[in-house]
Amino acid sequence: MSRRYGLAGRAGAALIFASLVVAAAFTLFPIYMGVLNSLKTEGEMLTDILAFPSKLQFGNFADAFEKTDYLRSLGNTVVVAAVGLTGIILFAAMAGYKMSRTPGKLSGFLFGLFVLSMLIPFHSIMITLVRISKDLAVQGSTVGLGFIYIGLGVSMAIFLYHGFVKSIPRELDEAAVVDGCGELRLFFVVVFPLLLPVTATIAILNLLWMWNDFLLPLLMLTDSKDYTLLLSTNMLFGEYNNDWAAILASLVLAMLPVIVLYLLLQKYILNGIADGAIKS
Amino acid sequence: MRLTKKGKQTAALLGFVFPALAFYAAFMLAPAFGGAAYSLTNWNGLNPAYGWVGFANYAEALTDDPAFLRSLAFTAKFVAFMVVLQNAIAIVLAVFVEAMGRSKAWFRTIFFMPNMLSMIIGGFMWLFIFTKVSSYLVEKAGMAFLDRSWIGDPSYSFYAIVIVSLWGGVGYLMVIYIAALQGVPRSLKEAAAIDGAGAWQTFRRITLPMIYPALTIGVFLTLNSSFKAFDAVYALTGGGPGRATQVVALNIFEEAFGFTNRYGYASAKAMILFLIIFLITIVQLRFMKTREVEA
Repeated sequence: MSRRYGLAGRAGAALIFASLVVAAAFTLFPIYMGVLNSLKTEGEMLTDILAFPSKLQFGNFADAFEKTDYLRSLGNTVVVAAVGLTGIILFAAMAGYKMSRTPGKLSGFLFGLFVLSMLIPFHSIMITLVRISKDLAVQGSTVGLGFIYIGLGVSMAIFLYHGFVKSIPRELDEAAVVDGCGELRLFFVVVFPLLLPVTATIAILNLLWMWNDFLLPLLMLTDSKDYTLLLSTNMLFGEYNNDWAAILASLVLAMLPVIVLYLLLQKYILNGIADGAIKS
Repeated sequence: MRLTKKGKQTAALLGFVFPALAFYAAFMLAPAFGGAAYSLTNWNGLNPAYGWVGFANYAEALTDDPAFLRSLAFTAKFVAFMVVLQNAIAIVLAVFVEAMGRSKAWFRTIFFMPNMLSMIIGGFMWLFIFTKVSSYLVEKAGMAFLDRSWIGDPSYSFYAIVIVSLWGGVGYLMVIYIAALQGVPRSLKEAAAIDGAGAWQTFRRITLPMIYPALTIGVFLTLNSSFKAFDAVYALTGGGPGRATQVVALNIFEEAFGFTNRYGYASAKAMILFLIIFLITIVQLRFMKTREVEA
């Protein structure tokens, strides 16, 4: 009896393993094909799309690197994400902490105001946002785009900070106040470091969002010298419609920073994702 | 004394909230209310003068705009496929991955990887698969079932869009379901096994009810993201051929920033999209929350 159970269990486990391998192969297939063919010449790609390149050549990459103005695009993306992330974390932590600590109607109203927008889809605000951004002269600049991300991103971050602050004992603030610590110093020296776990979650979620967002940069960045990685890649795709060798190389180049980041920080990223989703 | 303390507290509150509120008001609140207001006007973006038209934009969108209605129907079909398939596949993957020993971390890493990428990148990469690689496989490897116009024929490109969206979205939900599975007490499953329950029965009677709260989140997230789907469709088909695979978000985008520049009209469409998402997610949360209590 027990032997039969063990055998069935082992056969079941093998079946599960096999189906996971198939699913994993499917998941990696487009990425693998992209990398593989970006290393071939156009001719090689036509003769055998599945084969390994007969000899490694990086001509497509040199091509894509130049056509997407890679370093400049990468720099632009970093500027946007850095401005956005700094603002979101700093401002949301301040606001979330203070609203969580202050009782009363005003505090509740402000919190409600921030949470209110979490269900509004981006498409419902984008048209007016374009107009307001023109009026405020933030359209057409990477720093300005970062500012917009702050406005769009603080809601969720405030929500997460607001909840997390409740788990920090109030006595801590009070002790610091008795010691003669000012409000701002109290926040930055005592409270902010304690928020690190939720700060990490917020940083990961927002970084991924801004790095991979396409539509907002498309609407806001008009000059190709300000283009983010995604916009440059999209532009190259439009201009060299059938030159797959160059396109694939540019896709691989655009993927590279995220994949490297993922492989380095995957433990934190996966935990952050699960955390963020469950709490919000 | 008490009053000044309260006054001080309020001042500190406002001081701490102000920076966030300023950005939020300028780039989120103002556009949200502005969008609602503009949806009642005939503003066209080019002409600085515009007037109130009441609900005429809404009436036109819902009765006299076949392309918009088609995009709504297309999106609804897409959402239905995504809600069912994305959650079902994510749960199966989560259960399977959790059953693995040392290879668990590897599978988790691989399945989540597409979520790190923009769907613009993923979409272009799949476009290569659907156009170049699939035709190669048909010709050289005799895989006749792939011999379809995956991008050019709307009845197949619908599935192409679903496949790419699943590829990009399943890993995220899988991570959530894995976290939920890890919260199911081992003792419960062991007790079920002692009582003679098989693997399927244990899953159906113990595991599934225990992870029901995660299912609520999973369905909510899928509803939200699929109604707003844009990137994958933009990269794969651009809404074409014609407007056959146009999702609502793309229809709104085209109305506002394409040829017509009818900002007021596009705002009305955007408001309709918002109301649909809002109503459906509220109903979904209500419905699933009550079932959670029972389970």
